[in-house]
Order: sequence, then C-alpha cells, then structure tokens
Amino acid sequence: MLMLFFVSIKRLAVFGSLVFCLSQFVWADVHIQDSFGEKVFAQTPVRIAVLSWEQVENVIELGIEPIAIPEREAYQEWVAQPALPASSIDIGGRAEPNLEKLAQLKPDVILIGAALKDMRSKLEKIAPVVFFDTYRADHNNQQEADNVFLMLAKLLDKEVQAKAKLLARQQVFEQLQLQLKEAFPLGLPKVTSLRFASTTSAYIYGDNAMPQYALERLGIKSAMPLESTQWGVTQRRLKSLRAIKEGVVLYFKPFHQQEKLAKSPLWRSMPFVKQSNVAAIASTWTYGGAMSLQYLAQSMTQALLLVSKQ
Amino acid sequence: MKRLLFFTIAFVFVCFFSLQIDSELPLGVLWYMFVNQEVGQDYAQIDWFFSRLPRLVMALLVGATMGLVGSVIQQLTRNPLLSPATLGSSSGAWLGLIVLAVVWPEGQSQYQVFAAMLGACLALLLVILICGVRHLAGLTVVLSGMAVNLLFGAVAVALILMNEQYAKNLFIWGAGDLSQNGWEKVQWLWPHCLLALLILCFAGKPLNLLKMGQSAASGRGLNVAALFLILMVAGLWILSAAITMVGIIGFLGLVAPNVARLIGARTATNELGYSAFLGAILLVIADSLALALNALTFDVVPTGFTTALLGAPLLVWLIRRGLNQQDKVTYLARYSRNVFTGPKLFIVCALLATLVICVLMTHIEENQLSFHWPDDFTWPIRWPRSVASLFAGAGMAVSGVIMQRLIHNPLASPDLLGVSAGAVLALVGTSVLLGWRIAELGPFVAFVGSMSVLVLLLMLGKRFRFAPTPMILTGVALSAFIETLIQGVLMKGTDDVYDILRWLAGSTYRVTQDQAWLLILGVTSLIILSLMLHRWLTLMSMGQAVASARGVNAKRAFVLLLILAVSLCSWVTAIVGPIAFVSIVAPHLASLLGARHVFTQLLLSALLGASFLQLADWLGQMVIYPNQIAAGTMAAIIGGLCFIVLLLKNRGMT
Repeated sequence: MLMLFFVSIKRLAVFGSLVFCLSQFVWADVHIQDSFGEKVFAQTPVRIAVLSWEQVENVIELGIEPIAIPEREAYQEWVAQPALPASSIDIGGRAEPNLEKLAQLKPDVILIGAALKDMRSKLEKIAPVVFFDTYRADHNNQQEADNVFLMLAKLLDKEVQAKAKLLARQQVFEQLQLQLKEAFPLGLPKVTSLRFASTTSAYIYGDNAMPQYALERLGIKSAMPLESTQWGVTQRRLKSLRAIKEGVVLYFKPFHQQEKLAKSPLWRSMPFVKQSNVAAIASTWTYGGAMSLQYLAQSMTQALLLVSKQ
Repeated sequence: MKRLLFFTIAFVFVCFFSLQIDSELPLGVLWYMFVNQEVGQDYAQIDWFFSRLPRLVMALLVGATMGLVGSVIQQLTRNPLLSPATLGSSSGAWLGLIVLAVVWPEGQSQYQVFAAMLGACLALLLVILICGVRHLAGLTVVLSGMAVNLLFGAVAVALILMNEQYAKNLFIWGAGDLSQNGWEKVQWLWPHCLLALLILCFAGKPLNLLKMGQSAASGRGLNVAALFLILMVAGLWILSAAITMVGIIGFLGLVAPNVARLIGARTATNELGYSAFLGAILLVIADSLALALNALTFDVVPTGFTTALLGAPLLVWLIRRGLNQQDKVTYLARYSRNVFTGPKLFIVCALLATLVICVLMTHIEENQLSFHWPDDFTWPIRWPRSVASLFAGAGMAVSGVIMQRLIHNPLASPDLLGVSAGAVLALVGTSVLLGWRIAELGPFVAFVGSMSVLVLLLMLGKRFRFAPTPMILTGVALSAFIETLIQGVLMKGTDDVYDILRWLAGSTYRVTQDQAWLLILGVTSLIILSLMLHRWLTLMSMGQAVASARGVNAKRAFVLLLILAVSLCSWVTAIVGPIAFVSIVAPHLASLLGARHVFTQLLLSALLGASFLQLADWLGQMVIYPNQIAAGTMAAIIGGLCFIVLLLKNRGMT
C-alpha cells in the first residue's frame, strides 16, 4: 500500500516535471537585442509603457494598446497616424515623463528613445527598460526602423503581424508607384522634400531622412543629394535650391507664409517653380517608425499627383 | 569736415565691397542693372538684384534704425548704458512673436509687428516700473532691464518647450537673419523709417535742451514727459518694425551712440546722425562677414552672430575706455521698521519644514490627491529633487546677497555675469565635439564653462581695478555675446535644440542621488564660508574706501567675494541649470522682514531662497500634472511677479 503510494507520488513527480518542462517550452524566454545589448524576458510583456513617439507608433501598429504614452495632445496634432487608442494614459513630457504616475500604472516593460537614455537606471526601478536608438548618423535610419519594428514584434510576440504589416507596406509602395508611373508617363521625376524655416531658408531632407527613404521606395531619386546626417535634415539657404534644374520640390505643411513666398522674385525664378514642379505635402510626421514610411509615401504621392496635373 | 568726408568714402567703399561678395558677375553688368532696373533671365543676375541689393538696403535701414533708436534712448535718459537690448525691448518683442506663433499661427503673416510692438512696450513698461522713472540714469535701469530679460526669456523657453513644433520656425528669426528674397520686406520697412527721419529732423532741439538737465529744460518750456513719451513710442515702433523683419540683432544700439560720442558728436542732432550712420556701417560690415562665411561654409550663418562677433569686443573696449555711469543709489534695500527677532526665525523655519513635509507627502494617485509618507519607490525619486531645489535656492539666495552688497545695488545678481551662458556654451560645445547628448554630459563640463567665464571676467576687469559697475557691464556684454552664439546653434532646428532649451529651463528632474549629495556638500560649505566672511562683506557694502580704512585689502576682498558668489551660482547651475530671480527676491524679502546685518541677511535669505525654490518646483510639478514646468522657469515667473508686486506696494507706501 505504502509502496503504491510512493510509486504514485513518483509518477506524479515525473508528470509534474514533464508539465514543467512543457511549460518552459511554451513560456520560453524572450531574447531580444536593444541598443543597450541583449535582454531576456521570462514571458511576453502585456502592459506596455511607451515614452517615445516612434515607439508609440510601432506598438499601435502591432495591434497593442500601450497603457502609457507621452504628450497625448501633441501626438494627435503632429503625428496623428496611427490614431491613439482611448485607453492609453498621458504620462507627461517626452523628455520628462512623470515617474510616479508611470510606476502606478505597473508596466511590464518601458520602451524609450534616445531622449531618455540617461534616465535608464531610474526607469529600471519601475520595470525593465528597452531602448531603441533609431536615429543615428552612423547607420541607415530606415533599415534600423524596420529592425526595431521586428525586434519589438519579437518582444511582444507579434512577429507574424509585423511581417504581414511590412509586406502590406511593400504592396502599398508598389501600388503608389503604379499610380505615379501612370501620372508621369515620361518617367518619374527626381524629387527633393523640405520644410521651410523661413521664406529664405529651409530644412532640406537629404540622405538618411525618412522622406528620402520613402521616395526611394517609390523608385524616385533625390533631386539634390545631401550628405547623410543624424536626422537626415540639413539647414540651407533657399538660394541653394537653384541647383535643382530638373526636378520636383515638395514641402511639408504647415507653412504659414505661402503668400509671401509666392511673391518673391527669387522664388519665382527657381527652375522648379517656373515649371510648376512644386507642391505641398499634407502635414506628416517625418521622424517616425517603420510604418511611418508608408504614410510618408502616401502623402508624398498625393503631392506628386498634384504636380503631374499642374 | 575732413572726418565726414573720410567716413563717407569708407561707407561707400564698404557698401561697394559688400555687394561683390560671392557674386561672379562683372561690374559692368551690376552697374547696368542698378541704373536701368533691368534684370536678365540669368539666375545670378536675379539673385544679385532681388537678394543682394535689397539685403544691403535692409542692412542700411536696420543698422541706421538701431543706431538712431539707441541714441534717442541714451539721450533721453542721459544714460550711455542703455539700448533696446538692455531695456528688455528685444526680449519683449521675441516673447510677443512666440506667443503669437503658439496662440495663432495663421496670424503670423499679418500681425507679427503688432505682437512684437506689444511685447517691446510691455517690457519697457516693466523696466520703468521696476527701477522708477527717476532712476533711468544709473546702472539700476540696466539691471532692471536684465531682470525683465530673464523673466521674459524664462516664459519664452517654457512656451517653446510646451509647443515645440510651433516655435521651430522662429529660431532662425531669434538668431537675426538679414537674407532677402525680393524687395518686399524693404518696401514694407522703409515707410516706418520715415518716422526715424522725423526724429532726426525735429528731436535735436529739445534733446539739446534736455542736456542741461530736466529742471532747466522744463524751465525753458519743454514738456519733458511728453517728449519722453513721444520719442520713446516712436523709437520703439521703428525698432519693432525692424525686429519683425530681420529678427534680433544686438549690440548696435548700445555701441553706435557711444562710438559716435567718442569720435566727436557734440550736439544732439549730430549724435543722432552719427549714430545712425555708424549703426548702418557696422551692420553692413557684419553682414558682409556673414555673407562671406556663408559662401565659405555653405552653412547658414546668421547676421546676428557676426554682429555680436564685432560688437562684443567693441563694447568691452568701450567699457575699458571708461564707458561707465556712476550710480546714484548706494545699497538701497527697503528695510521695514521692525527688527528681525527669534520668533520670526522660528516662523520661517517652521514654514520651510511644513513645505518640505508637504512636498514629500503629497501624492496623486488615480487622479486623487492623497497624503502619506513616500514609499520605497517614491522616496529615491523625491528626495534628490527636493534637496536639489532646497539647496539650489539657498545657494542662489546667498550668492545674490553677496553680489548685491558688492555691487551696491539691490538688483544685482550673479546670473547677470554670464555664468549660466558660459555653462551652456561649454555643454553645447562639448556635445557637438563628442557627439553626446547634453543630458549625458554631467555637471562637470557646465561648471568648467561657467568658471572660465569668471576667469575671463577677472582678466578683463583687472584694467579698471574691479570697479563694480564696469565689472557688471563686462559681464552683461559677455553673456549677451554667448547668448548670441547659442541662438546660432538653436537655429539649426534639430532635435538637439530642445536638449539645450530643457537645460536652460533649469529642471530638478534629472538630479541623481549622487548629484544631490554633491549639491548639499558644495552649497553648505560655500554658505558657511560666506557666513565666515560676513565682516568683509559688511565693510565692502559701505564702499571700498570704508573697507580700506578699516584695514581690509579692498581689491582682494572684492575679487574673493566675487569668486565666492560666482562659485555658488556655478555649482547650482552645473547641477540643476540656470535658476533666475531667487537671487533677487530672497535677499529682498529678507530685508523686508527686517534683516539688517549681513550675517542675518545671509542666513535668512538662504532659508527663504530654499523655501521659495522648493515651492516653485512643487507647483511646477502640480499645475500641469502629469506634465511639469521646470523649477527654474517657475521660479522666474513667480519670482518676477512677486518682485513687481513688492515694488509696487513699496512705491504705494512712500
């Protein structure tokens, strides 16, 4: 009797350890690589706090509602796409998020960008910190944005969705490219995009800038090659745009001095203005994550289609 | 007559030369275009005729305007230290434009000049309110102007940080940019300059009368108040128009009239004319420099930057040549009749303790206010912040007392000497050099930066034997110069800009536990040192002569005490960033409470400064929860308002 008891216990133990092994298999550690190095999570985090806008974008694109996001109102105004879920709570500034409020929300993981790199040790007291340094001078920002997106998907167990999203993005690019080819039967023009700083100077998007990468995906070359920088923008006098002999110039809205600029003889004598090869791009965030490339391509295509009609 | 001829020739030559920079067109073509007003299709021609020529005209108009307005202000107040910049008008105009950009971005194309004008007038009004119409002749008005600069600057930084994207396009404007893309701006500006012509024609006579003194002038039938009002408003109007078109360009208004007097302008009309002329010539030279640098580096080099490059050394040279103004006020704190007693000290201490407990215990949980002792998680977040604001406040207050006693002026404060500007420059420079973000650099770099400004100041000050007024003026010139450099960096408009602005806001958010300990140690030992030196400070505040008579080496005492004040300020600035106004308000409050002796004032100011900054930091964390306003910004806003109210109340009593 006693033996039987022992045997059954032994069996139970064997069964138990088997279950344990299985569960280990199911709940395998999540290994990811962020900009600090390797991180291991025992299980997929559920409550995600996001402290930088480009990660907010990524997380929402992956179909997850972040519990905490920074500067809700400003995001809705400047980034706009993708739309914020109502459940995400505003956690304060992007550079100085409210730590106590963050702690009260009990996140499983905190995603940060370069602005909070130095706050790592304080944040790690709340939850594990994952840091992605998307924008750097010494790498391809767009490539990195895609890598970050996939890595994030791995962490959040959404790899299938992420790959599908990227595939869909590629299809959108191809679709847009078809539209453009139809609109420009003689071949796609070279394009440079910029944001006006005043009526005499501009921030021009050059190599390593998201708008430029978006254009490249559409099969469009830059009309004014500029060296690669951290954010991809270079401030230049408007005068230097005259180097664009044949090509299109697109500028991002909002710009409140269109009328003044239109009156300028210098502006009107620019080759692209004379040929009406200039148009405004609807306000779009230019420092976003992987999927922001698609939004950029869409709004820039809209602008280019306008140009083709002019 | 010979001199006039020389200047005219030099002037024509400079203009001629300026038009040649970075333009490969032959002279014949240029002359043909200029005379016939005909422009070919060639881009180089269009560029010259629609960009370079209007740019030169703009430089002439703006330069002349700045010189003239500076001269008007200096003659009206009979104070050679005044200019639109030292009166706070420039920062007023700057704030006005930022408010417009944030509140009503679409209105920018139409109403910028009104916004700028409103801001400039408000600033002037505040300055006059602070120093009183009767004290327009001394250093006091410069110090009030600087105080208003600090207040408006803090508000502007806060607005920019809360509305990053809106303000982005204004940075280039803040740096002072003369580039043109047609004749439009010139056509807009020149009718306003007719007002300047009127001033030049008709203001000479009454201003000459004013040279005999206010009472003599009114004795001869001059309505001084009306003259002041008319000329001031007219001057500010032209100035706002110019600022709206090209942005902030410093130094000209201060330097031009002084150089004019130096080269022999005697009558009022002469001085006005010479100043306008010199202003124009200086700006054209500075602008040529900017153009040349532009062509060499392809970077956008703002004219404000090159103007500072020329203007700052010129100003320092003028100060060393004796640009000075004896202040009529010696140390003039407003004592109350009651004496500071033990029970009062107890009340102040109790207040401070209550505040600290309040700050540590208030929590917001699920949108509910609750009071309890901080737990293991909140304690390490809260205590460094609380300690940082307490000790930063105390340090700045003590530093303020020392400065005010040394300079013999209740408005003096250590941050006027360019201490924080030096720190920013070091931070920005190092971050550009190493490619790190400012937040990663740590307090050491900032401290080195501000101490090097002190060394430079002491080297420059040796010449005039560390007399207080030129010392302050040199500091003001230095900090204005460094601020222009920083504006040039801000203009780049990348995301790093906000790091700089965030640092300028003076926040306790990033203070670590180690830094908090550093702050405690540094500030405590420096305050103890100041308390030990209180006898020196007492004697020095009676004047250097008195101090020498009592056997103190006045020069050495001055330098040592100055180093002490600046070290305190630098230590605080390095760890939390610039904290304005605590150094003015806390000592003032201390004297109001009846602290007459240096020792009591030092001690009481430290307590009051600590409470004040603690309160400011706490309010900053509560009012726009979960966002926050930096302690420095909050202190400047509350302090500035307190200060104005205090002064008004005081005026009401006397």
